[in-house]
This record gives sequence, C-alpha cells and structure tokens, in this order.
Amino acid sequence: MELLRPSSVEQLDGGLFLHGGTEVVPLLRDGILRAERLVDVRGVVPRGIGDGVVGAGTTLAELEVDPQVPDALREACRLAASPQLRAMGSLGGNLLQATRCWYWRLAYPCRLHGGERCHAREGEHREHAIFANDFCASAHPSDVAAALVALGARLRTSRRELAVEELYRLPDEADRRTTTLEEGELLLEVELPPVEASVYLKAMDRARWSFPQVGVAAARHADGTTRLALAGVAPIPWLLDGPDALESATPLERTEWKVPVARALVRRALAAL
Amino acid sequence: MPEVRLTVNGEEHVLDAPVGTSLAAVLRERLGLTGTKVACNEGHCGACTVQVDGVPRLSCITLAHAVDGEVTTIEGLREHPLVDAFVRCDAVQCGFCTPGQVVSAAALVAANPAPSRDEIRHAMAGNICRCGTYPKIEEAILTWRD
Amino acid sequence: MARLIRTEKEVEGRFEEVWLVVEEDALEQWPAGPLSVVGRPATRKSGPARVRGEARYTADLRFPGMLQAALLRSPHAHARVKRIDLAPALALPGVRAALGPGEAPGLVEEAGFVGAPVAAVAADFPGQAQRALDALEVEWEILDAVLDPEEAVARGQLVGEPRRNERGDVDRALAEADVVVEATYRTQAVLHNSLETHQAICQWVGDTLEVHISTQYVWGVRAEVAAQLGLPADRVRVVCEYMGGGFGSKNGPDEYTFAAAELARRTGRPVRCALTRREENVHAGNRNATIQKLTVGARSDGTIVALAGEFTNSVGWSGWSSYTEGPMQMLYACENLRTVTYGAKVNTPPMKAFRAPGFVEGTFGLECLLDELAARLDVDPLELRRRNYAHANDGTPFSSKNLEECYRLAEKHWERRHEVRARSDAVWKHGVGMASQIWFGGGGPPSYAWARVGSDGRVAIVTAMQDIGTGTRTAMAQIAAEELGLPLDRVDVVLGDTARGPYASISAGSSTTPSMGPAVRAAAADAKRRILEIAAQRYHLEERVLELRDGLVLSRDGNLSVPVEEVVGLLEAAQILGKGARGPNPTGMSVLTFGVQVAEVAVDVETGEVRVLRVAAIHDVGRIVNPLGAASQVEGGIIQGVGHTLSEQRLLDPETGAVLTTSLDAYRMPTMADVPEIVSEFVDRPDEHLTSLGSKGLGEPPIIPVAAAIANAIRDATGADVHELPISREEMLRALEAATRRERRGAAAAV
Repeated sequence: MELLRPSSVEQLDGGLFLHGGTEVVPLLRDGILRAERLVDVRGVVPRGIGDGVVGAGTTLAELEVDPQVPDALREACRLAASPQLRAMGSLGGNLLQATRCWYWRLAYPCRLHGGERCHAREGEHREHAIFANDFCASAHPSDVAAALVALGARLRTSRRELAVEELYRLPDEADRRTTTLEEGELLLEVELPPVEASVYLKAMDRARWSFPQVGVAAARHADGTTRLALAGVAPIPWLLDGPDALESATPLERTEWKVPVARALVRRALAAL
Repeated sequence: MPEVRLTVNGEEHVLDAPVGTSLAAVLRERLGLTGTKVACNEGHCGACTVQVDGVPRLSCITLAHAVDGEVTTIEGLREHPLVDAFVRCDAVQCGFCTPGQVVSAAALVAANPAPSRDEIRHAMAGNICRCGTYPKIEEAILTWRD
Repeated sequence: MARLIRTEKEVEGRFEEVWLVVEEDALEQWPAGPLSVVGRPATRKSGPARVRGEARYTADLRFPGMLQAALLRSPHAHARVKRIDLAPALALPGVRAALGPGEAPGLVEEAGFVGAPVAAVAADFPGQAQRALDALEVEWEILDAVLDPEEAVARGQLVGEPRRNERGDVDRALAEADVVVEATYRTQAVLHNSLETHQAICQWVGDTLEVHISTQYVWGVRAEVAAQLGLPADRVRVVCEYMGGGFGSKNGPDEYTFAAAELARRTGRPVRCALTRREENVHAGNRNATIQKLTVGARSDGTIVALAGEFTNSVGWSGWSSYTEGPMQMLYACENLRTVTYGAKVNTPPMKAFRAPGFVEGTFGLECLLDELAARLDVDPLELRRRNYAHANDGTPFSSKNLEECYRLAEKHWERRHEVRARSDAVWKHGVGMASQIWFGGGGPPSYAWARVGSDGRVAIVTAMQDIGTGTRTAMAQIAAEELGLPLDRVDVVLGDTARGPYASISAGSSTTPSMGPAVRAAAADAKRRILEIAAQRYHLEERVLELRDGLVLSRDGNLSVPVEEVVGLLEAAQILGKGARGPNPTGMSVLTFGVQVAEVAVDVETGEVRVLRVAAIHDVGRIVNPLGAASQVEGGIIQGVGHTLSEQRLLDPETGAVLTTSLDAYRMPTMADVPEIVSEFVDRPDEHLTSLGSKGLGEPPIIPVAAAIANAIRDATGADVHELPISREEMLRALEAATRRERRGAAAAV
C-alpha cells in the first residue's frame, strides 16, 4: 500500500480517499475496503466555515462550536460520535460513512456487499430501518446528513454540484451503492442556504457517543416551507414529506418502536421551530 | 518501506514502517511508549487517545504516515497537574483507560481551564472506563488546579 | 497450630467441599470506626504508576524473539473438524508453528459455538499470524445446534442436574394467600469488556514455564497450567503485576494461555497470545441470559407466605449454572419456598462469572416482583421489605447483618420520592425505586502473607496475590501500617508473582479484603512481636510494656521513645520476617453482605428514554478499610449496573448463533455522560465473628440491586412494569403501552 498526498484536485488520480480516517482505516483493516493506493486528500479539500459555505474538510469539532453554523447542523455535529472522532472526522467523510448494520460491518455476504439476501430482515434488526427497508434494512447513521437535507444544502464535488439528497440513492438489485458519488469524485464544499430556524433532535441509547436510533432535523426556510429529514430510519438519509408521512412507515417486527419515537421527535422539532 | 517522521513529546523520530501502520503501533512497538494503551483497536473506546497539536485523536486508527502535527502522549504529560489530581481523587481503578483519560482531560483544560460538569461530560464521553471511575475523573478535572 | 478441616467453600456463589488447612487467628479485633490508618481515606499506592502510564500490564510486555499467536475459531455453532491441514499456514513467511485440535488444551475438535478455538499459529508478527489463519484449510462436519435455552431445557440438554430447593408447602401457602403475583422476567447476556483483553505470554526459562497473564488468580493459573500441561506446579511461574480489569472473567488460564505455552515449547521462543476486542466479546465469557418465572403469595398485611421460582440460565456450551435463585432463597423470611434452576446447554459462547453472577439477575426478578406485590397490596415498598426481614438464613444465624440499619439510612433518600414525583410533567415522569442486596463476600482461608521489615524501618508486605484494580495494594498496606504503628508511606506491597510470595486468595467473589486482610494483619503482628522482642532485649525492658506507634517504639511509662528504625537498624542488611495466615470463618454461621439502593429516574413517556438521575447506595460489608477506595467500588458497580440495565446487550444472529455485538460501537457501555449522581454510605460495623479484621468484600454488592432499583423507580414514575433487561426504548415503550392498556381495562371494568 502507498500513501499519496496531493495538493490540488488536478493531481488526483484514482486510489482510495482518506481524510480523517475514522471510517476508512477500520474498514481497510477489516478488508471491507481494499486499496493499493491511499490518497490523503487533506491538501485538496477546503477546510473552514465561510459565508454560507463550509469546506468539506472541516471537522465536526470545528462545526459544533461555530456560531455561524445553523442550529440543526451544529447540534447534529455536537451529538455525533465521540469527541476524538469529531476532532478527526470531516464533514465530507461524515456524509459518506456506511451503515452501522452489524451484518454489514462483520462482512456477512448481505445485499449491500453484493450478496443475495438481507440478513437483518430475518435476523437481528432492532436498530434498523422503518422506511425503504425491503431490499436492505440498514439504517443510515449520519446525523449531519439528515441536518443538511433539512437545511436544503447543496454540495460541490470535484465534478459537479448537486443537492445533498442527490448524493444518496437506495441500493437495488442492479446497483448496491448508497451514494451517487463516482469513482474518483471528491466532495469539496457544502453550500448552506440561509434558513429562518432549524433544529436537530436525536434519540440515543447513551447520553453521548451513540449513533442515531432516530434523528430528526427540521428547518424553516425563507420561502415559508419546512423541510424534515430523518437519520437512522432508512438506508439513506430520509427526507420526510411532512409529519403524516410517518404513517406510511414499513417497520420490521423489531423496529416498530422507532415509529412512535420518530413521531414524537418530529412533533417536538416542528414545535421548536 | 516508506518513511515515517514524527515529533513525539518534543522529540523527532524517523523510522520505516509499512503504510497502514497505526500511530499507536509506532508509539508502542517502535518507540516503547507503552503508556498509550490499545483496548479496542478500532476507534471506539478512547484508551489510545493522544494529542496531535493539542487535539485529542485516536492513535489506533490514525495512520502513522498521515500524522500532520506534533504528537503528545501520556509520557509527555507526566508532570501535568492533572496526574496528581487523578491520584488524589482516586480517579483510577484498573488504570488501563487512565492514560487516555488524562490525555483527553489535558486537551480539555488547555482549551477551557475551568470546565463545567456538562462540558467535562461532553468532552470526556469518548473515553470508556469499564471500572466506572467517571465520578472521580469528573472531580479530578473540576479540581485539577487545587 | 495448623488445623486440617473439611469444609464448604464458596466462590462466586458456587459451593464445593474442600480440605483446608487453617491456622488460628489469635488477634483481637480492632475497635470499630476509623483508626490511625485503617478506616481513613487513602489514595492508591499504584496510582501514580497507573496514571502516568508507567505501570506495565501484560499487554505492554515484550520479550526478545517473542512470537505472536492467533487462534482459529469455529464459524459454526456446532461442528466437528473432520480434517485440518496446517501445512499451507506453516509455509507462509514468518510462521513458526501451528497447532491443530487436541494439540493444546482448549483447542477442540468439536466446536460448540461460533468462536470456539480449534487451532493456533505463531508467527513473527500479528499480521503474519492472521494470514496464517486464513490459509488453514478445515473441513467441517456440521452438527445440530440449539440456540434457544427453553428448547435446550425441553430436550434435557443441561449443564449439570436441575437444582431444586424446597421448604414448607408452597402450593398450600399460595392457595391460602390473600394476593398472588406471578411474573416472568428476562435478563440479557452482557459482556465483561475488561479494557485489557485476555492475554498471556508464555516462555520457557530452563525447565520452568513462565506465564505472564492478565489474571485474577495467579495461583489458579499455576495449578491449571501445571495440571493441563503435565508439569510439576513449581515448574510454572505465573506473573501479573498490573491487570486491566477482569470482573470475574479472568479467573483461569483458558485456551489462549495453553496455546501460547505449547507454541512456546515447540518454538523455544516466548509466545504472546492476546485476544482482539472482537474475540474478547465472543469468547471471554459473559453474564448469561436468564428467564425467571416467579410467584409470590402474601397476606394482605404484606407478610410473604410463599415464594416460587423456575429459573433458566442460558449457560452456553460450557460453564456453570449460576445461583440465580439465591436472592429468592435468602433475602426474605419465607417458610414456604420452591425453586428449580436449569442450566441450559446451548450452542452459544460459554458464560463466566461476572460480578455477582446469578445474584444480579435474580435480584432483578425478585425485587421487581416485590414491588409489583407492594403495588397490588398498596403497601410502601420499604415497609414491605421490613415486614419480611430475615433474621436467619434458613435457620442458620448470620455472622452479622445490618440490613435494618441500611434501611434506616436509606429513609432520607426514600423520603425524596414525593418531591421527585412532583417534578413530573406531561412528558417526563419522575419516580423513585429501591431494591435490597444480599450476597456472599466473607472470603475464607487459606491465604498467607509475609511482612518484611528492613533496617530502614520500611515494610514490604509480600504475598502472591493480585491487584485487579480494586485498590488491594492500598488496603493491604493500610492494614499492615495500622498493626505496625507506621505511617502508610512506609509500607509497600509486593504482589503478583507466584515465585515471589506465598499462596494468596483469588481476587473474585468479593473475597480479596476479607481473605487477605487478616493474613496481612497477622503477618504484620508477627513482625511487630519480633520488633518488640528485640527492643526489649536492646533496652532491657519487658516486652509487655512496649508498643509501636507513629513509627516509634514506646514504653508505656514514656521513658523509651525511639524510632523503629533504631531498633531494626541493628540488623543492617538483614530483615525481620513476620508470617501470617488467614484464620477460619465462623462455624455454623452465614457470612453475607447486605445493602439497599434507592434510584431516581426520569422517563420520557413519548420516546421511551430512561434517565437515571441519582442512586443512593447503602451497604453493610463490615469494617471499611479505605473509605475512598470503597466509594470508588460502589460507583463502579453502580455505573456497570446502569449499563446492564439500560444499554448493554450481547446480540446473537438467530440463524447462526454468532455474536453480532463484537465491537464497542455495537456493545454500548456507559460513558461519563451517562453517570447519575451517586451517594454512597456504609454501615461500617466490623463483623465481630469474622476474622481479626471484621471486613467483608465490596467488589460485587454495589452492582446487585441496580437494575431492580431502576425498574422499580420506573414503575413509580409511570406505572409501567418492566420485565426485561435491558430497558431499551423498545422495552420501555412496550411496558408503557401495556400499562395504558391495563389502565383502560381497569377503567372499563369500573364503568
């Protein structure tokens, strides 16, 4: 394995991108990710918080204390992971993290790994999805992604611009990926439109250092609309088409409990706006 | 093998190691700095916490070749007043997590010399102690300058 | 005089008949209360070394030429190795030796769970050992596996015979009871997760096998390694100076030690075998899951007339069926009692002792049942417990029991419940709950210590015990300092090496202080006697007029006052040696520990979130040697208990039986942010029948009542009956919904 440290987008030439390393390093060690060439992109990805734009290399620790950052995003960062992980992990890396589904993490040959079945659906799934869980029941663990979806953030990559929800796709038989990022494409910046108010509420099983059981982000936008997005309820961050959309959830036997939790948090989030 | 250049506790080291080697492995196996403990080796428990330019990081999932600042380990913090505070408050049981706790706490008090209980709990939540010394650690951090 | 006795010995709630040599303990007990050193807070002897990262744990030891071993584990819950080819592994770079099934104790041909070790390799580097495992070719014969403990019981697939206990006439008492409450409680499997994983380094030094191991019992490791490897016991030296947590899981050597020893023998090099965190969470033991079907019958005045329980321990493939029925048998006075306990042998990883095995689980069931009874009878839960106070243990007197005093000290915490409940609003419901604690913790013989007094007047207590993080070094030094009239900083404790000290107790079963403390005191007293004898001769005084105090040899008339080092300084490089042994436990008495905890919780009834806000713990464990260390033990036990109650759970894949929660993102122990306010109090009365020290152990008692106290506080707050651990949001919401349904039915019936 080699480690490259490019200093500009132009120098990028394949390989596995590495920023804080909090996700990539353990997955490499487990053999879930494989690479001959590691590319440390810290010299390439902008870092810092500007006027409505955040560098994708900004750490969660930097975001959680910056008053310019909208409340939902700041709170999502504050309640994410552990202090050390927040100090290491970047905003861009957080958006690209994989599910905490134990079957996936333990490399069971599940559908996300290209296999024939979802082990969680018939197996141990009490922390899994309540939406879009037919093909793969994994739950997306990014608090930050839910906040950005609610905030209506846009992303700039090394190749294009897109709405944050367009970064994600549900896995299917033909394509098991959960993001639309192409080979060699790198997240560079996050653009945050101004919002009137925003909030992030998170159900955890510890007071800190917990992935979202259910995370609810809500933002009231300048045009008067409110956007709701959920973490921990679907294989990707879940844009919720209003509170009533929770009634169309399709929980598994042991994820039914997430529905009332989501209902309560959505109600509270809307009230907080 | 690719070269690793590190400054650890003010001392420079140059050594060869395969890419993928963790900072924790270099500290413990190559530099003999065994005060940094490895308890989970996958970034979940905080026992391996070191500072890089004063910021707490998990050395077990930090690639040695990608370290971009000065490393401070427990060996570099042995004279920190927190050490006495931990002993005085009995903030140590089996002691395996304790060096990591001190490293995290030292980063906290450097940034915020008089943290509140809530701030301590927020900043220390990534250091798991299975013996449950948390109340004593909290007390040690509250009284570290006494 | 040494006395040979045949007696019942208890460790972790298991009893066995053993031969013991005991020596009389002729010392008078010290008066109750704080003394010069004993009973006063002391910081840890090993504190600076541990905090500064200087303490060398097994994980930190490196020997020249050391190889790294790794274990091949079964991917099947039940399978037999039909064929294994070690050659491809041995051909890889850096690989020095490989062992197949049967080539070291613990490497099995028939794997009874996913993760059972079947083969081992040793290589120069860990990565090479891992690759060697991947290269091993195994052909498996898959066998029938049973994962469900109730199915195992139905099939008669048990670990040991069912344990039955009966007194009185339960059926008749239940028929005549005014109220009968029945409930089924379930507790989950939880994992020890000592931060230092199980590991050993074995090396042969001449014809002696040196074992460096993270253990709670150096002598147990020595005996078992010697027996398994067919060595004379004195050819095995076991060393453990510092160890990073055990909680009951490190009482013996296990396969990683045997494999390292055999690989070391074959290669002639030191071999280290260290479990990874993920292996630790598969095969380092667990607190096994239980199912408890419980019944209580009572008169309307709250007198319990019958208790019955059917307990199933989901033991795993091996291990023992822990004493889950113990609290039901011992905590309350009840003439009619019937319990049966099944140890289900299932194809899951084996249990090991985990901090009060059985009693943590059994107390959850029993003490929740008591509160359900209290609610039915509309009797105050504390009053109900007092009304059924046991004054003897099924006819056997207690050596001491101050539970009533614990209850009295708990009143001020219990009284807070009105004020606490009043804090409730529409969403957050507040409540207070309590639970009692009973457990062993008397320790016992044999245990020995030496006191070595140098000519500088410093003392080394030498005994081959181990300090597992509980502050043993400090407590032992305090006891010796007290007896010798020396300041604490003049006493050191040398431990952790079977080649450098006499036999000492296991550090498990809350036994270290009560087992070792009296031996240390006796050794110090023996050294003191010799110092005074020498002083009497040196200063031409009668020995009986001399005493040791504040580092001085004093005559009672005040005419002699010389520093102790002036007397022992005569010896120059030589030393005074005192020897001490642990005396017997009182015969015909039950030596038990007691306590009560009062928990305050808040429950978010919409999201099922439970917050534990405060726990007050009052324990009766005899004399407290070090109040500072004792408070740390209580806090640690409660915090572990909070984890067991709310967030910790080992999950298995229901199809394969594989552990899914092997990493610490999935297995969630409390963080600092999860810690409630903890108030700890002690009755602190020496047990006048128990040794010259009067102390019992405190390692386990604090974790025992936590789950029940929390569950009972939840009931107080919400009216919901929690029947299952952990109290996840799922379980909490289920219990709340059941309570709402019950209320609706009640309202409908009233209409």
